[in-house]
Amino acid sequence: MRIRRKRTAAALAAGLFCTAFLSGCVTAEAPESGGGKEITVAVNSETGTLDPAGSIALTYLAYSVSALDELLTFDEEGNIEYRAAERYEVNEDSTVWTFYLREEALWSDGTPVTSEDFLNTAVRALDPASGSGYANYLFPIENAEEIYNGEADPETLGVETPDDYTLVFRLDEPCVYFLDLLRLPVYTPSCAEYADSADSGWDKDPETSLANGPFCLAEYVPDQYFVLEKNENYWNRDAVKLDRITYRFFDDAQAMANAYEAGEVDVATSLPSTVMELYEGRDDLLVTDQIATRYIYFNLDVEPLDDVRVREAFNLALNREDLCKIVGADTEPAYNLVAKYMKDKETGEFFTDGAAQPFEEDVERARELLAEAGYPDGEGFPTLTYSYPTLEMDSYTAQVIQEQLKKNLNIEIELRAQELQSNYSSRYAGDFDLIRMNWTADFADPYTYLSMLLSNSTYNCSGIDDPEYDALVERSNSETDPAARAELMHEAEQLAVGQQFYIIPLYAMKSVNLVNPEITGIRQIPASGALEYRYADI
Amino acid sequence: MLRYTMKRVLTGVLSLFVLATVTFFLVRLIPGSPFQRGGVSSQVVEAVEEEYGLNEPMLDQYLTYMGSLLRGDMGISYQDPGTEVAEIIGRAWPITASLGITALAAAMILGTALGVIRAVAENRALREIISAGSMLAAGIPSFAAAILLMLLFSVKLRMLPASGLLSPVHYILPTAALSLYPAAVISRLTGNTLRAELQKDYVLFARAKGLGKWRTIFTHALKNAYLPVLSYAGPASASLLTGSFVIESIFTIPGLGREFVSSVTNRDYTLILGLTVFMGTVVIAVNLLTDLLCAWLDPRMRRAYREEDV
Repeated sequence: MRIRRKRTAAALAAGLFCTAFLSGCVTAEAPESGGGKEITVAVNSETGTLDPAGSIALTYLAYSVSALDELLTFDEEGNIEYRAAERYEVNEDSTVWTFYLREEALWSDGTPVTSEDFLNTAVRALDPASGSGYANYLFPIENAEEIYNGEADPETLGVETPDDYTLVFRLDEPCVYFLDLLRLPVYTPSCAEYADSADSGWDKDPETSLANGPFCLAEYVPDQYFVLEKNENYWNRDAVKLDRITYRFFDDAQAMANAYEAGEVDVATSLPSTVMELYEGRDDLLVTDQIATRYIYFNLDVEPLDDVRVREAFNLALNREDLCKIVGADTEPAYNLVAKYMKDKETGEFFTDGAAQPFEEDVERARELLAEAGYPDGEGFPTLTYSYPTLEMDSYTAQVIQEQLKKNLNIEIELRAQELQSNYSSRYAGDFDLIRMNWTADFADPYTYLSMLLSNSTYNCSGIDDPEYDALVERSNSETDPAARAELMHEAEQLAVGQQFYIIPLYAMKSVNLVNPEITGIRQIPASGALEYRYADI
Repeated sequence: MLRYTMKRVLTGVLSLFVLATVTFFLVRLIPGSPFQRGGVSSQVVEAVEEEYGLNEPMLDQYLTYMGSLLRGDMGISYQDPGTEVAEIIGRAWPITASLGITALAAAMILGTALGVIRAVAENRALREIISAGSMLAAGIPSFAAAILLMLLFSVKLRMLPASGLLSPVHYILPTAALSLYPAAVISRLTGNTLRAELQKDYVLFARAKGLGKWRTIFTHALKNAYLPVLSYAGPASASLLTGSFVIESIFTIPGLGREFVSSVTNRDYTLILGLTVFMGTVVIAVNLLTDLLCAWLDPRMRRAYREEDV
């Protein structure tokens, strides 16, 4: 009896072992190789939908650069590259924008892309139920904000579709950077036939998730990978060389770097700066500019941060060169709010190089300012708290700043490390003295930065209320002469960063990527700095 | 026995109810919102929260949630509005469970084998090596083991894949990382109790009757020595079956543990709750099963339960 039980147990154990292996083979299928030219790209773990009108995050961004054609975009020299549209017109005061769609453009199922498909995304995004985080970028359009707030009927939206191939946007106010907004998801088409709501699941089903760009969705396996294959109906298909792109989800950057090293992926992006040293001098390493600024917000409601002399002292007392040396080789000191690597489309130069640096670091002067404000040698200065997310880079930054302020101004700051989400909510609730901020450009115009400090901006978390600044930024919005406009924007930035010292700019960042050297034709999107594979070849 | 089982099931259900309630309020107390991302304007966040009923009084939200939970509806994920929580669990659990069962089986087989060798080996050096090895293995945290294994076998030697769970070969490294600690514990438990067991009279008697050494060990001594191992293996298998947060993240395995971590990071309230309730159910069920299994194997315990029933 006992022996039999023992044997049964042994048989059970063996059985379990086998089932485990078999079930393993069944539950996780490997993406099939279809032959032809293909690459595998590592992307961050899955978040959000693929619906341009839905709650999108990194997964959509990876998908859309290969699968969706916006109306038009800008190349690296700042020239217009027409995609879904073939030309456009704008009225004198930049309030009516008319786009003429490419008649030969088709969805991946062979049906034509029409103006209705663009309207479809905008209307759906303006329903808060969609969860779209970009809905506010539609607000320049007539009645858009009222519709979003439930105060107007969606029919009244200032987007007209006189025929299948004409699309008209009517704006409330002049908006000279409107073309830059077109790359945002809410201005991207979604096929009106299938894309009905944000939660019907059409977006991840290859049957209904149609693409109007060079690649279309072939397979989507949640949490594991998705596969795009060449869209044979794409109007510009001859320029597309790859047959398939597989995107694999990874949870952290180190796992991506390991997968690249193990030869499991061809491209891994946004890796830790240590990878730069490991791969130095090798063809795999591709370092790109991020259009982003890391900076610190002051809470102007907290004494003595309401004193411009104190804010200036903080800015002048920091040594950003030293800071960057410690934080990582992928950072470079920044003295502006507008991202260091954002280009001015007119001149082709970095925008921030078009004006003098807003301020110079100067520890002596910082000490004088602090004394003038009533705190000679930091005496009597209250202990302020600096809140930052628990990311490695931000933790290093916080410690360096704490040390430099102690050494240079003899003032103490307390460090408060927070989980990322908690940090966001502290910021929005105004529950901080000093808080870390990072802003990646949404579109390729300095307005994406300058608008954040406007008194009515929802990103203005520090309580800035400066009518002079607001007026300057507003004037720049309707100024159609690019040079004069750039002048106004420089003036506004000078005022906010170099005179009022509303923020402490810290550094600009580089993106560390590993790319299989056999791949050619990878481009960088000027607006965001992200990599684009639509014309890649292997 | 039946009454005991019933009692355990009832307390289990009660524990789940308390677990769901506490978790419901705790997740809402964490700062942050499911719809808050770095670049999303607060106007948009508020509008979306209202749409999802997150601005209603917390008690109303709680009653609504518990009502649907009782009907077996765990709601939809906030991060991925097209997907139901049950669907996500249905997708992730088979992956976690297959890895967990593989790791458990590996740990049991390896741990028992090494334990037996340690108990009966006449070569002292061999015994010491196994003993030191299991001590070391029990001391290395699984994440460190995982990273070391990955560095060695994937990055340096390029023998085994570093990420995903796409084929049987992909199981090797995560299984090794997961089973290292339980295997070490099982080998120590088996070795110690088996050695004590082998000193007992019935073993001597069995040998005196002419029963072979291995037969005595496997049919008599090991069975008695195995009870402590089983009471360890129960909770251990519960933790293996609900997924390792760390190992799944390191090897990019789309299982429960990884879903759980990302649901907390994303403040995906419904998904956090659904996963907590599900994991709670698994843990309670596995512990109950272990107790029943121990009772089945050990007449003393069985008698104790029966007395309790009276």
